[in-house]
Amino acid sequence: MTGAAARWRALVAVAAVVAVAAIDATPAAAEYGDVVINRRAERGGVRPVVFPHWFHRIRFRCKVCHSELGFRMRAGANDVLMADVIDGKFCGMCHNGQTAWGAEQCDLCHSGKPGTPPGIQGGNETRGPGRW
Amino acid sequence: MTPLRGSSLHGRTAALALALVAAFAAPGARAQGKAVYDQACGVCHNAGIVGAPKLGDAKAWEPRIKQGVPALYAVALGGKGGMPARGGNLNLSDTQVKSAVDYIVSQAKVRATTAVASAPPAAAPAPATRTAAAVASTPAAQSPPASALPTSAAQPPAAPAATAPTDPPASSVAKFAPGPTTVAAAVPVRAPVSGAQANAFNRLLRPPAQRNLPPAEDGIHDPANDGTQLLQPPLEAFGALPRSNAGNRVDWVKALAETRIQPRVDRVDPKAEAVVMDLNIVREVKGSMPDVVYPHKQHTEWLDCSNCHPAIFVPQKGANQISMAGILLGEKCGVCHGKVAFPVSECRLCHSKPKPTAATAAPAR
Repeated sequence: MTGAAARWRALVAVAAVVAVAAIDATPAAAEYGDVVINRRAERGGVRPVVFPHWFHRIRFRCKVCHSELGFRMRAGANDVLMADVIDGKFCGMCHNGQTAWGAEQCDLCHSGKPGTPPGIQGGNETRGPGRW
Repeated sequence: MTPLRGSSLHGRTAALALALVAAFAAPGARAQGKAVYDQACGVCHNAGIVGAPKLGDAKAWEPRIKQGVPALYAVALGGKGGMPARGGNLNLSDTQVKSAVDYIVSQAKVRATTAVASAPPAAAPAPATRTAAAVASTPAAQSPPASALPTSAAQPPAAPAATAPTDPPASSVAKFAPGPTTVAAAVPVRAPVSGAQANAFNRLLRPPAQRNLPPAEDGIHDPANDGTQLLQPPLEAFGALPRSNAGNRVDWVKALAETRIQPRVDRVDPKAEAVVMDLNIVREVKGSMPDVVYPHKQHTEWLDCSNCHPAIFVPQKGANQISMAGILLGEKCGVCHGKVAFPVSECRLCHSKPKPTAATAAPAR
């Protein structure tokens, strides 16, 4: 039992040090318009999703997603389930293996740093009071 | 029993460490199985997505297990129905996939025996602290049904508290160990302001060293994730585009006008053309600030009328009260500007029509 306890303690110490180091090492310098989607991802055992607006707007105009695909224009207003994506709704309308990579390529979308809270990132200026 | 409990305890720790850094090789087949399961299979098998049998659902797994474990291995490795081969994680080795299958099978059997023995329902994922408290207060917990023991893999802190009450270091570690780790996981990824940043000219301006970083360095992507390395770095795409001083530091409107980028108007039809409306709306503003010229043209290049009308802006002259305060709160123009369209720090891009300056003071009336 003592052996197990010692191993447990040592591993926890290592994990804590690594976690703190990871947080310290990289300041959040995300690209403007990046959205982290993490309402369910981490609870479901996967990394959060990072949605880069810049990458998509080079390829599609805003209206394709925000009108045709049904994404509402407020972070947090779109409750997208993985099942919807696999069924070809929301992201799945393009991320189906034809227009873009399919849902089986989990780690391309689920690429966020564990523990990142959901919301828009990258130095947004219009979210709430206290920003200016 | 003790070695089993020890290994499950170890497994949980390793899974936690793996979730944090994804770099720990978990010793022990069971530990590895759980880690692989959490990483690759849990997404669907925890919730039962696309018909996936849920973890621990004995009824669903029974017919599958009856076909033999090799058959399950084959399905896991090759895929079946909605399930991709290797759970979609092609980097996993055969051994890793099989260990995950073993873990799933062990979980299904555990739940099945608990159900048959009509023991109290196995404590499904419950807060560890609550379980520990329950264990401490219930003397019966000293002799739990043997079949229920493996389920305690999900709540390792309870195990040492129940079995080794005479070992204070073990139980105190078990009680406090989840503390630092959960705290570490819950800390939002916001780096403390370093000395250099604090003395920067304007803390809202991003220093050049932090602009357009590749995904692995941007602070929100996990560098330990294989997929992160495959994502396109922003600068690779922005190289040929006209630059600006804010946001992505790309002038998107100019890039589109000069056809440096050709974003599709329709999801599938690359030839569809945008319905552009060329109508400027001038909004007079208070004070000496230049009036705002709102160009429908640049907006309809990107957006559909219904994106803004009538939810954000009532399509009627004088019906919209717009203030910078509201915009900063994310209303009206602030729905996009400041988040994905150029930010509000670029005053003169909107406030672009200078007020006519009176040559002489207006006569008093």
